Amino acid sequence: MTLAEPAPAGQRSDAPAARAVELRKTYGSGAATVHALAGITVTFDRARFTAVMGPSGSGKSTLMHCMAGLDRPTSGQAYVGSLDIAGLDDSDLTQLRRDRIGFVFQSFNLVPTLSAGENITLPADLAGRKVDRDWFDYLVTQLRIGDRLSHRPTELSGGQQQRCACARALINRPDLVFADEPTGNLDSNSSSEVLEFMRRSVTEFGQSIVMVTHDPRGAAFADRVVFLADGDIVDELAAPTADSILEHMRTLG
Amino acid sequence: MWRVTLKGLLAHKLRLALTALAIVLGITFIAGTFVLTDTLHNTFTSLFGNVYQNVDLQVRGVAQLGSSGGSATRNALPQSLVASVRAVPGVAAAEGSVQGLNVQYVSPQGKAISTGGAPNIGVSFDPDQRVSALRLAQGGPPTTPHDVVMDLGTAQKYGFKVGQTVRILLPFAPPADFTITGLARFGTANNLAGATLAAFDLPTAQAILNRVGTVDSIDVVTSPGADKARVQRAIARILPPGVEVVTGQTVANEQTSAINSALAFFNTALLVFAFIALFVGGFTILNTFSIIVGQRTRELALLRIVGASRRQVFRSVLGEAAVVGLLSSLIGLGLGVLAAMGLEALLGAFGVTLPSGPLVFEGRTVVVCLIVGVGVTVVSAISPARRAVRIAPVAAIAEQQTEADIPLRRRFTWGAGITLVGIVALAYGLTKPLIELVGLGAVLIFIGVARLAPAVARPMSSVIGRPMAGMLGMSGRLGRENSMRSPRRTAQTASALMVGLALVSAIAVFGASLSGSAVSSINDALNADLIVTPVSNVSGAVPNAVVPVAAAAPGVTASSSIYTGKFELKGELNTLTATSTKDLSKTVNLAMAEGTSGSLAAGQLLIDTTTASAKNLHVGNVVPVTFAETGRSTMRIGGVFKANALIGRYLVSDGFYRAHYASTELPVAVLLRTDGSPTAEAAVTHALSGYPNLKVQTKAQFEQSQRAQVNQLLGLVYALLALAVIIALIGIVNTLMLSVFERTHEIGLLRAVGMRRRQVRAMIRSESVILAVFGAVIGIVVGTGLGIALSSSLRSQGITDIVVPVSSLVVFLVLAAVLGLIAASWPARRAARLDVLAAIASE
Repeated sequence: MTLAEPAPAGQRSDAPAARAVELRKTYGSGAATVHALAGITVTFDRARFTAVMGPSGSGKSTLMHCMAGLDRPTSGQAYVGSLDIAGLDDSDLTQLRRDRIGFVFQSFNLVPTLSAGENITLPADLAGRKVDRDWFDYLVTQLRIGDRLSHRPTELSGGQQQRCACARALINRPDLVFADEPTGNLDSNSSSEVLEFMRRSVTEFGQSIVMVTHDPRGAAFADRVVFLADGDIVDELAAPTADSILEHMRTLG
Repeated sequence: MWRVTLKGLLAHKLRLALTALAIVLGITFIAGTFVLTDTLHNTFTSLFGNVYQNVDLQVRGVAQLGSSGGSATRNALPQSLVASVRAVPGVAAAEGSVQGLNVQYVSPQGKAISTGGAPNIGVSFDPDQRVSALRLAQGGPPTTPHDVVMDLGTAQKYGFKVGQTVRILLPFAPPADFTITGLARFGTANNLAGATLAAFDLPTAQAILNRVGTVDSIDVVTSPGADKARVQRAIARILPPGVEVVTGQTVANEQTSAINSALAFFNTALLVFAFIALFVGGFTILNTFSIIVGQRTRELALLRIVGASRRQVFRSVLGEAAVVGLLSSLIGLGLGVLAAMGLEALLGAFGVTLPSGPLVFEGRTVVVCLIVGVGVTVVSAISPARRAVRIAPVAAIAEQQTEADIPLRRRFTWGAGITLVGIVALAYGLTKPLIELVGLGAVLIFIGVARLAPAVARPMSSVIGRPMAGMLGMSGRLGRENSMRSPRRTAQTASALMVGLALVSAIAVFGASLSGSAVSSINDALNADLIVTPVSNVSGAVPNAVVPVAAAAPGVTASSSIYTGKFELKGELNTLTATSTKDLSKTVNLAMAEGTSGSLAAGQLLIDTTTASAKNLHVGNVVPVTFAETGRSTMRIGGVFKANALIGRYLVSDGFYRAHYASTELPVAVLLRTDGSPTAEAAVTHALSGYPNLKVQTKAQFEQSQRAQVNQLLGLVYALLALAVIIALIGIVNTLMLSVFERTHEIGLLRAVGMRRRQVRAMIRSESVILAVFGAVIGIVVGTGLGIALSSSLRSQGITDIVVPVSSLVVFLVLAAVLGLIAASWPARRAARLDVLAAIASE
C-alpha cells in the first residue's frame, strides 16, 4: 500500500482529519476486565482545534494513542483521513506517524544528543526527505527559536523545548497533530505561548489539532471541547471559554 | 541490607547474566587447563610407574653436560658390562638395551608416519618381559634381523597386522623392509604420546642405531628376597668410571618429572591466556557495575535517606559482585571439564597429540577457580562501589541525575602516570629479561591507556562515526552522537576490546618480525639452491645414507651436511653447529668479521659477532669446552662471523663434529648447490624418492616453510586469544543492552515521530561499530608498540628485522568492525522491538 504524500493544507479531501468508530479498548479479562475505551465514536474535523478533557482514567490518552497508531484498539475502526489504520502493520504505522501525524508531548521529548534545529527536522531526516527551508524558517520565526537552533535541549528552557517540539510536530505538514498535555510541565507564560501558536496554526494555515488536557484555560484555546468519562464521550462544548468549561466540569461532577 | 543486595541481583538478572558470562568463560578456561594438565600428569605418572614397575635397578652412563633427569645426555656402555652385571650376586636378570630416534615407518600409502611431531623411536626388544617397557599384545618377539615389533597405536591407526611387511626408514642405512612379528604396548599405553616405536632384537637395533658393541642402559631384576640396596652397592663396585646404577623408581621419577616440567610449561602457557581473558573480563565487569550504579543512583540515594550507611552501600555493591563471581565460577568449573576435552581437541587439531586417560578433578582446581573468579569480580567492582558511596542522599529527590565523574584532568594525570610506569616496567623487563615484569608492565599499560581513553573517546568516536553518519543518514548520525554521549562508558567498553586487539596485534608484529628475520637470515646465510630437511621438524634428522645419494644427483655441483649438538663452553651449555668444509662457500655464506672461515678445517671454533662481544672473545683466544662423549678439552677461536639465526652461534667442521659425536652423527639438513639447470631439483627429488621422511626444497620454498611454521604458531596463539576478544564483545553487548534499556524512552520517542525499526537497528549497530573500531584502533596502536618492543628486545636472539604487518592490522580493524556489528545484533533487535507506547508511557 502507499501512503499519500500529505497534500498542502486547504486542498485536502472532504474527509475529516480523523475519526473513531465504535472504538473499544479493553485490558484484562473476566471480572477484571477494564474498558479503557467503551465503543467510542468521535470525529475530529479538519482545520479545527479540538480539546479532549476528562478525569484520570477516562480514556483520553488511550483514545489518542489508538488514533495516532501508537496503540491498537481491541475493536472498532480508527481513521486518519480516509485511511483505516487498524489494518496497518508496524512499518506502515511508522510511516503514517512520520508523514501524516505530529506529536507534542508533556515532557517535550526532544532527543538529547541532537541540537534544537536537528530535532525539528528529525521526522524529515528520518524519512530521508529534503526539508522545506521556507517552511522551516517560517515555523522557527513564528515560534521565536531562531537563535536557539544550534543549542542542545538541555541548554533550552522548558518553553523553548516545547516550542521546538511544536515545530517538529509541524515540519512534515501532518494531517493531524496530537498534543498530550503540552502545557503540563510549563509555567503560565510559556503555556500561553505554546497554546497561542497552536491556535494560530489552526486559524492561519488550517492545521488540525487534537489536544488532551486537564487545564480548562488551555482547553479554552480550542474550537471544541470533548468530555470523556469511563471510556466514552459524555458531553461536548463548542466555542468554549475557561468559564464555560469549568461550568461543564462541575455539572459532570 | 543483604536482602537489598539479593533483590538488586534479581532485579537485574539479564545484565548480570552477561557480566557473569565473561567470568564463566575465563574460569572455564582455567578449570579446563587444570583438569587437562592434571589428567595428563596422572596419565604419565601411572604410565611410567607401570613401565618401570619390574625394573629394580638400572645401570647407565652418568648424565653429561650439566643437565640431568629424563632428557640428560648419557654416554653408551660397553656391551661386555652386561655379563659382568649379570654375574653380581643377587642379580636375577640383566638386559642391555639401546634406543634412538629417526626410525620411521612408511605407511601403506608410501608416506613417512609421524604423529604431530612426536619422535619416531627405535629400540631393542627385551625378550625378558619383566624388564621390558614393551608388553607384547599380539604375536611374538623379533628374532631375526628382518623382524620388528610395532607399537599397537601405529598398527591400529594404519591397519598393520602381525605377519605383514613394513618399510622402515633408518637413520644410518637405506630404508629396509621388515616383517611384523608382534604388536606391543608401551606399559599400558598403545603408544607414548603419539611417538611411534619400532623394536628389534638387540643386535639389529645396535646396527640400526649405530651402537654396535654398546648398550645405552642395563635393566636389572634382583633375585627374590635379595636386598636391593645391597645388590645396588655390589653392582656399583664393579662399574667403570662414568657409569652409575640407580633404582627403577629413580628412572620412573626422572621420566615423569621431565614430562611434568613440559606439562608445567604447557599449563603456565594456557593459564596466561586464561588470565588475559579474565583481565579483559574485569573491564567488562567494571563497566557493567559502573552503569548499574549510575542507573540505580536514585535507588541507592533512597537507601541512604532511609538510613543506610556508606559502608552498607559499599558492601551491597560488592556483595552483588561477590555473588555474581561465585555463581559464575561454579558454572565455569563445571564447564571447565568440558573445556578440558575441547582444549585437547584444539591442540590435537594443531598437531599436539596427547594420551587419553580418566579426567582428574583436583581440589586445588576448585579453590583456585573460586578465588580467582570471585576475586576478579569483586576487585573490578570496587571502583563502581566507591562511586556508589559518593552518591549524595539528596540525589533521590533531585530532578536532574548527573553521573559523578572524576575530573578529566586528574584522570589524565593518573592514566599517564600508570602508563609511564608500565612502559618503564616493560622496558626493564625486556632488557633483563624478566618475563613477570614484562607482563606487569603490559597490564599497567593497558590499565593506564584505559584510563586515558575517555579523554580521546569523544573526538575519536566523532571521527570514526563520520562516515557512518554519511552512509546511514540520521540513524548513523544518532549512533555517533550516542557513542559520544558518555565518553567514560564508551572508553570502558572499548578498553576490553583494546586489550584483546593489543595482544593480537603485538603477536602479529612479533610473528611478522620472526618470519621476516627468518627469511632474511636464510637469504644472508644460504648460497645453496636446494635444501634437504626432514619432514618432521621436531626430532627428525637426515639419514646418513642420503648424503652421497643427493650429492650424486645430476645437476648437483656441491653439497654440505649440517649437524647440531650440545656442548659446554666455559661451563655453559650451548648448541653447536657443524658444516662440511669442502664446499662451504658454495653452500653457506659466512660473513667473516674477524679471522677466516678456513680455520674451520683446522679444527678451530668460529663464533658469531653477538657472542664475541657478549663474552669478549677474539680470534686467537683459547676457550675450555666439554663434549659428552670426549670430555674436556680446549678450542682456539679461528674466526668471528656476522650473527645469523640460521647458522647459530658456534660453528665447527663436520670432521671435528664426527670426532666428538660418534654415536649421533646425523645431519639435520643437507645443502645442495646446483648447476642452475631446471632439472636439478627434479633429479634430487627423484634420487630421494625412497625417503618419504625427507623433503627437498628450493630456497624460496624453504623460506615459505619457515613462514608457514611461524604462521601455524600464530594460529594457535590467535585461537587462544580469541576468548579474550569474545569476552570483550560480550562487554559491548552488555553496554549496548544497558544503553538501550536506559534510552527506552528516547527510542520510543524516535519511533513515535517516525523512525523505522530498520533505522533503530542501524542506529544501535552504528554505535556498536564505533565502539568496536575505537577499541580496535587504540588496541592496534598499543599492540604494535608492544610488538615492536618485544621484537627489538630479541635482536640478540635472531630477530633482526622489525616488520609491521600493515595488511594484517587492517584486517583486524575490519574484523573488529564486523564483530561490532555482530555484537549489536541482539541489542539492536531488542531496541527495534520496543513497544512504542510502553516506552513513551514509562515516564
